[in-house]
Amino acid sequence: MRTAPLLALVTAAVLAAAGCSSSSKNDNSKDDGTSRSTVPHTLQLPKLTGQKLKVTAVWTGVEQQNFTKVLDEFHQRTGADVSFVPSGDDMASFVGSKIAGGDPPDVAMLQQPGVLREFAQKGWLKPLSAGTAAELNKNFAKGWQDLGSAQGKQYGVYFKASNKSLVWYNARIFAAAGAKEPGTWAEFLRTAQAVADYGVSPVSVGGADGWTLTDWFENVYLSQAGREKYDALTTHKIKWTDPSVKDALTTLGQLFGKKELLAGGNEGALQTQFPTSVTQVFADGDKAKAAMVYEGDFAAANVTAAKAAIGTDAKVFPFPAVGAEPPVVTGGDVGVALKDGQAAQALLTFLASPDAAAVWAHQGGFVSANKNLDLSVYPDDVQRSIAKALVGAGDNFRFDMSDQAPAAFGGKPGQGEWKDLQDFLKNPSDVAGIQQRLEDDAAKAFKS
Amino acid sequence: MASTTQGTRVTRTRKARGALGTRPWAAACFLLPALALLGALVVYPIGYSVYRSLFDASGHGFVGLGNYHEVFSDDRIRTALKNNVIWVVVAPTVATALGLIFAVLTERVRWGTAFKLVVFMPMAISMLAAGIIFRLVYEQNPDRGVANAVWVGIHDTFASPAPYPGARPRPNADLAASGGGAYTTRAAARAGTPVLLPLVAVKPEDVNGAHQAAPAKAVPGKVTGTVWMDFTRGGGGTPGRIDPGEKALAGLKVEAVKGGTAIASATTAADGTFTLPASADGARLRLPAANFASAYGGVDWLGPSLVTPSIIGAYIWMWAGFAMVLIAAGLAGVPRELLEAARVDGANEWQVFRRVTVPLLAPVLAVVVVTLMINVLKIFDLVYIIAPGSSLHDANVLALQLYQSSFGTDVNQGVGSAIAVFLLLLVLPVMYVNLRRIRREREQRR
Amino acid sequence: MTTTHPHTAAPARPSMPARIASRAGGGLLRLLLVLTGLLWLTPTVGLLLSSLRDRSDIAASGWWQVFVHPAQLTTSSYSTLFHNSKVTHSLLTTALITVPATVLVIVIGALAGYAFAWLDFPGRDGWFMVVVGLLVVPVQVALIPVAKLFNALGIFETTLGVVLFHTAFGLPFAVFLLRNFFAEIPRELLEAARLDGAGELRLFTRVVLPLGGPAIASLGIFQFLWVWNDMLVALIFADSGNPPITVALQQQVRQFGDNVDILASGAFLSMVIPLAVFFAFQRQFVSGVMAGAVK
Repeated sequence: MRTAPLLALVTAAVLAAAGCSSSSKNDNSKDDGTSRSTVPHTLQLPKLTGQKLKVTAVWTGVEQQNFTKVLDEFHQRTGADVSFVPSGDDMASFVGSKIAGGDPPDVAMLQQPGVLREFAQKGWLKPLSAGTAAELNKNFAKGWQDLGSAQGKQYGVYFKASNKSLVWYNARIFAAAGAKEPGTWAEFLRTAQAVADYGVSPVSVGGADGWTLTDWFENVYLSQAGREKYDALTTHKIKWTDPSVKDALTTLGQLFGKKELLAGGNEGALQTQFPTSVTQVFADGDKAKAAMVYEGDFAAANVTAAKAAIGTDAKVFPFPAVGAEPPVVTGGDVGVALKDGQAAQALLTFLASPDAAAVWAHQGGFVSANKNLDLSVYPDDVQRSIAKALVGAGDNFRFDMSDQAPAAFGGKPGQGEWKDLQDFLKNPSDVAGIQQRLEDDAAKAFKS
Repeated sequence: MASTTQGTRVTRTRKARGALGTRPWAAACFLLPALALLGALVVYPIGYSVYRSLFDASGHGFVGLGNYHEVFSDDRIRTALKNNVIWVVVAPTVATALGLIFAVLTERVRWGTAFKLVVFMPMAISMLAAGIIFRLVYEQNPDRGVANAVWVGIHDTFASPAPYPGARPRPNADLAASGGGAYTTRAAARAGTPVLLPLVAVKPEDVNGAHQAAPAKAVPGKVTGTVWMDFTRGGGGTPGRIDPGEKALAGLKVEAVKGGTAIASATTAADGTFTLPASADGARLRLPAANFASAYGGVDWLGPSLVTPSIIGAYIWMWAGFAMVLIAAGLAGVPRELLEAARVDGANEWQVFRRVTVPLLAPVLAVVVVTLMINVLKIFDLVYIIAPGSSLHDANVLALQLYQSSFGTDVNQGVGSAIAVFLLLLVLPVMYVNLRRIRREREQRR
Repeated sequence: MTTTHPHTAAPARPSMPARIASRAGGGLLRLLLVLTGLLWLTPTVGLLLSSLRDRSDIAASGWWQVFVHPAQLTTSSYSTLFHNSKVTHSLLTTALITVPATVLVIVIGALAGYAFAWLDFPGRDGWFMVVVGLLVVPVQVALIPVAKLFNALGIFETTLGVVLFHTAFGLPFAVFLLRNFFAEIPRELLEAARLDGAGELRLFTRVVLPLGGPAIASLGIFQFLWVWNDMLVALIFADSGNPPITVALQQQVRQFGDNVDILASGAFLSMVIPLAVFFAFQRQFVSGVMAGAVK
């Protein structure tokens, strides 16, 4: 008796599987058609018909779809079969397990220069070919090239960059609460309080993902302690027990320590993953659950997913200045080759070109540091201005600190800095205890 | 007696050797594929792991038992060990207990089979799918997660939700927190002089459609006043004054307090006004905490403190059916006469269960518990999928730690191997017991 | 010696109040069972209904809202699944791993089981004990060494490697189960076939295998479900560009909220075949569980 409806379901599923899989191709080609017109053709790629490439990145969802469009463009130009493999949260473990078996993906998009350095040290990476390096040199400032190199060799192409010093806000809630874009940390706290008085949780924090918290800390720290200290702490030349860290955590505690300023309170924030932290600010217009969310430009993809229009419903202001000047923290994803081969190098060359950047930039949620990318490809002014600032920043930016640390400290869920700052979010009054734990973890990770 | 045993053994040996007259090479051919696979993929790895566990991360430096020391001293691995102990103790016990209860209860119910099917079904699905299922179940938001929806529902039947959760007095207003979430005026109220009680941080949806707040009329001999949301939409407005567009807070409880006890109380009307009797003259006004208690958000199932019990819950959902089916089969083998005899002797159902059924089932229960224990030691997928990043550390178990220690950049395959060997050591006693049981059974059969 | 059923024996003895109490107790028991059954079904129903809702609906409210708003039911998650990800292909990969791994374990396990039951060779019982002892070895022990071994053999990241791994770890159970079953075959049957001039292989394929039907069915179901549902082994050894369904879904779990539509529908899809197998072959599954309550 019970099996009858189930069998019906099976049949339905099988039929659906058979019927739908054939139509998926049509959809792809349609999408390519629309983006085609905006994609420039600046470079010549070899014919790679029949070659197979595997590319891995942490991206899923919207980001995966958009990156797949980039790979499709590569496929159209070269004939290489590229398959995208989401690595899951833990890129190092994933790649590590595949290296252990001797068959890693051809290209990996690493999120952290720290991981790039570690991979290079272990001899997992293949240096860029002369052609790829030339394309990179043509399009990228020296700062970005250096971030992609280790031990004097150029390994990586910073395909995707991000400005991580932005606060996104729900314009309708701001209007209703009479709040204005703050320029300093004190104003930011006042604005948050005003929004709280209005009755909406002011700040949404995606604390379930530890990296959002390291980004919070880095912005406060860079602005408050300055670039020199930032560089020193990045390389662990000063300890995490340094007074400057105490100041930054105390400052951050002014926000994290008041649970009425956080959407869902501290416990709710710890349970919120990054995508939700963005959507709960923009879903349902002025009935949204929270008013502001701090994160990089890439949050735009989630804003769009929440059906909010960037520039009208969703606006952005620079991370407020804690010290003398507001911070500019950047991040990015760097493409590296894990295997030798013409195809892998061709893909990296393509990723270093404005052509590849244009494909994703056109979709939104993407900023490129590529000097030669025409800014008109960005879908809206907000993202255009972010990109413009990034390209024009020169050396006045600092790259994400945790991303430069060894992965055990700055790049893994449930451990190191991610975990320690989650503990801080749980208990923001324990500044000294958190500092000690950060220092212990950092000491261990930097030693090995 | 002795000679009979001798005799059977002789015949058996002769028969076994001669009966089918096989040549040794035939046996080798039949066994070769199995032994080759087992040797290469099961036995060799055990040897390799034991060997590898004695060397450091690079694989060259001999460290003796150093990696085992690391297993017991590293903070993360110790959390994993502690959790594994919890898992091994709790999960098999609860699953077996539930299985026993289900098996006994369904025995005499006609549609017991249907029930068993429902409980047994989760065994057929993957830990990954179960993980996704329980991510949905344990969703924190009570609007989305069924566990919290039920929990909050039960909670709210006993404590009705507050009308204005999260609201608080306008700063600088004459209202101070008076403990437990209540707010009390500093000044005493006077009959005939209306009081203004400005609040802020009322959720927009709670005042959606509320009336414009109105100043209370001065009524001789009565204490009157207004409670309202002192926040003009779009900002502006004067704090502490009822500006146009500011909403009334209806249905709010106001108490008159003298000497710490409430002597009178009133509820605000649609325009935010309230009227207290003359006895309230000279009393201070209190807005009790019940007005503002934040909506109960339910239990933080996947938070650091509950994540392991929650995942164990998912495991029990999957495996209680296994225990039930095995125990039900054991139950079918219990002689009815024994139960009947106990009943005739005047034992009630509980005594029959406790004194007759359970002891008779003891061997089956032991097999079930031991099987589940082995299974639980290897738990990986469920933890990996259900635990969110923020509590992965708190949910860590050995098998997960082994994966993390073995692959990646900061790895130490020496430690990974040590964990593997440790897991193996933990199941060795079971291996021994199994082998003895099998040997005994075979001897009985002879 | 009456073995009367308790129900038929009861009416004569207890007093009226006791009977009423027992009947009320029976009602309570039934209610309890129904509620427990519902409790057990709820998570699965929740997944099914979630998979039949739009992503924005899932983000906004719980699946039980479909009872209030049946209009929310949609197959859009399933069409997203089939359009934008390789899930259909990953189902095929799962099948390509599961079927050979099941067949191989049966064939190799039966060969060895027969040898242990009926063939003569030195140290037979000792070898059998070793194989049975391997039943409890956790797969985790083999991850690192087998990765290195497969690397040397060039079958890392291949379906073949995953199949061999699953076969090896399925063998102890297979040998244990089938040897015990084959040992029960009447000696006369084998001797008669032997007298008819059947060779070892013929004896095996014509007599032993057909007689082993029930045990082979149990083993097959068990191994099928085990391999189909595996994630860890495939995560490491399978072709990551073309992974089985469990790994494909695991890759999407990172942003659970973002991908909940794909995850819910994908998880349900991944359950359909094991559940169908389970319902179709319950009896064999149960006897497999009984026989192998050590794995």
